[in-house]
Amino acid sequence: MERRQDIFLGLIFMGVGAAAAWMARSYSGEGGTYPMVLGILLALLGSAVAGKALRSGAYVDRQLIEAPTKMVTAAAACTVYIALVAPLGFYTSSFLLMLMLPAALGFRQWLYAVIVALVFTLVVFLVFSVLLEKPLPRETLLSLLSTGG
Amino acid sequence: MEFYTNALQNVLTLWPIAAMVGATLLGVFIGALPGLNPVMAIALLLPLTYSMDPLVALAMVAGIYNGSMYGGAIPAILLRIPGTPASIATTFDGYPMADKGEAGKALKIACWSSAMGGIASAIALMTVGPLLARVTLYFGPAEYFWIAIFGMASVGVMVGSDPIKGIMAAVLGLLIGTIGIDSLSGQARFTFGQTWLLGGLDLIVVLVGLYALPPVLQLAEKCDLKGLSAAQLKLTNVPFKPGELKGLLPTWLRASSIGIAVGILPGAGGNIAAFLSYNAAKKASEDPGSFGKGNPQGVAAAECGNNADNAASMIPALSLGIPGNVVAALVLSALTIHGLQPGPQLFHQNPVLVGGFMMEMLITSLLIFLLGGTVATRVFAQFQRLPGVLLVPSILILMCVGVYVINGRPVDLWVMLLAGIAGYFLEKVNVPLAPVILGMILGPMAEQSVRRALLISRGDATELLTRPLSATLAMATVLVIAWPLIKVIRDRNRKKREAGHR
Repeated sequence: MERRQDIFLGLIFMGVGAAAAWMARSYSGEGGTYPMVLGILLALLGSAVAGKALRSGAYVDRQLIEAPTKMVTAAAACTVYIALVAPLGFYTSSFLLMLMLPAALGFRQWLYAVIVALVFTLVVFLVFSVLLEKPLPRETLLSLLSTGG
Repeated sequence: MEFYTNALQNVLTLWPIAAMVGATLLGVFIGALPGLNPVMAIALLLPLTYSMDPLVALAMVAGIYNGSMYGGAIPAILLRIPGTPASIATTFDGYPMADKGEAGKALKIACWSSAMGGIASAIALMTVGPLLARVTLYFGPAEYFWIAIFGMASVGVMVGSDPIKGIMAAVLGLLIGTIGIDSLSGQARFTFGQTWLLGGLDLIVVLVGLYALPPVLQLAEKCDLKGLSAAQLKLTNVPFKPGELKGLLPTWLRASSIGIAVGILPGAGGNIAAFLSYNAAKKASEDPGSFGKGNPQGVAAAECGNNADNAASMIPALSLGIPGNVVAALVLSALTIHGLQPGPQLFHQNPVLVGGFMMEMLITSLLIFLLGGTVATRVFAQFQRLPGVLLVPSILILMCVGVYVINGRPVDLWVMLLAGIAGYFLEKVNVPLAPVILGMILGPMAEQSVRRALLISRGDATELLTRPLSATLAMATVLVIAWPLIKVIRDRNRKKREAGHR
């Protein structure tokens, strides 16, 4: 397991380093030399990692993801949340994330979840929008309500 | 002396004081929650400090750093769950003390020991830092280049289990640092025609992704749906025996010295300081067998050791511009955010700020005495009743809002997500993340220095090695990189000798 992971890791770094060195060829003067040297170095280090793993005969079990379903659920929720921040607005999407992600991970105390989501969203609003006055993506829901009004 | 009196006058004003008190409390709270760590907290905090006065921003960093190092002891003692990696050694005797009904006493010892370690470390920073900065007056571009390479090499080699992977991570960081317009030639590098990449990747965006997302994903994997019960968090108070506190003094002195030495060394962290201090206390004890069974000296040594690492780790960062650990790198980032150039010039150009930060490290250590006592501990321990599963979206939201407000660009959120997922897998395959960040910070300094040195010497590369200081630094760098190889050869020879004897 560990051996295969390290071979794959070494190959990825070799690829990234080689691509960077190749791209840096087209940069003029010393502005290109430095990243090219770094790219070559990264490729060499990647090959060293892969080579070391190839030479070692031991297969040590190293779990890459402890609980794949939970990890993928959290990563997917984060992706959807980021995609929704701009179209829906920051606070609407945050409230939805606070409700949906714990539920997707198996949390079934709905009232508790709603109260925590409301309190947390309110605290974030008070800190970021009221106290620190940070500009955040506009709430579509509020825009629709004001247009409708 | 004038250096510190001027700094103190600026620190002892309303906002820095409020920031230190608030951040120390927040730090204890963060440390008390397993899964959250000081690096993550400071990384989340930095984007919010853009509009703040630098002294206020650094006061918050100091408070969170010192507070969270102590806060990590709370779950370590009550539940045998280290709140931060640096509090692993605290569990050895802290939990057995709690098991014997001495949780309150163990927490008091942890609190005082943390404060003692922090104070000793801040004094070391205030005395050694300015002296070391004077040496840097003799530095030219070649020395700056080697200092940057030495810092990255030592962190790359010392952090993590595989030196090749550590150095590989540092080179990756250096390469990421080249993205954007080259400041000397104006050449756009690795921008793929994207205008948002012309300024390079924002360090804080990458840092929040690398350091905050992996623990959040791990928290989701653990999927704690219940939190802890009130019974699990019950504290009992046992009074100290006469002379018991006085008996901790030698342990505090020993652990402080170890913590400070470890802190100055690039790459070593609070967890190493805590383990070394714990072992030293055990060796020096008349009753080493009582360690691991609830000996207060064990708690004192571990907590004093890990807090003594804090301010000392800022010595190479503030005087040489070389961060020895990620928190030091974050402090340098905080300075960059405020338009200040990290490195040796900082002491000469911004003495009030540097001196002020040192004072803030000292004051926040003192604050642990006042704020970290049993009352605060009772309050913060209660937060562990919150199901961990609710922390997952909360931290994700804080990460996103923090990253978004830096530039107001949704694309930064995607960069953060990508960096976070990469960080999650890199950690799993034992590639340390600290060298990536250090590479990003020190890369531009290394590149500009080497190119300036070559410009001055009209392309003569030997200039990098002919000055006595640069040659010494180059040799030190080679030694650091070669050390793991030397160790392997020595181990092989020893094994061969042993086999020969048999």
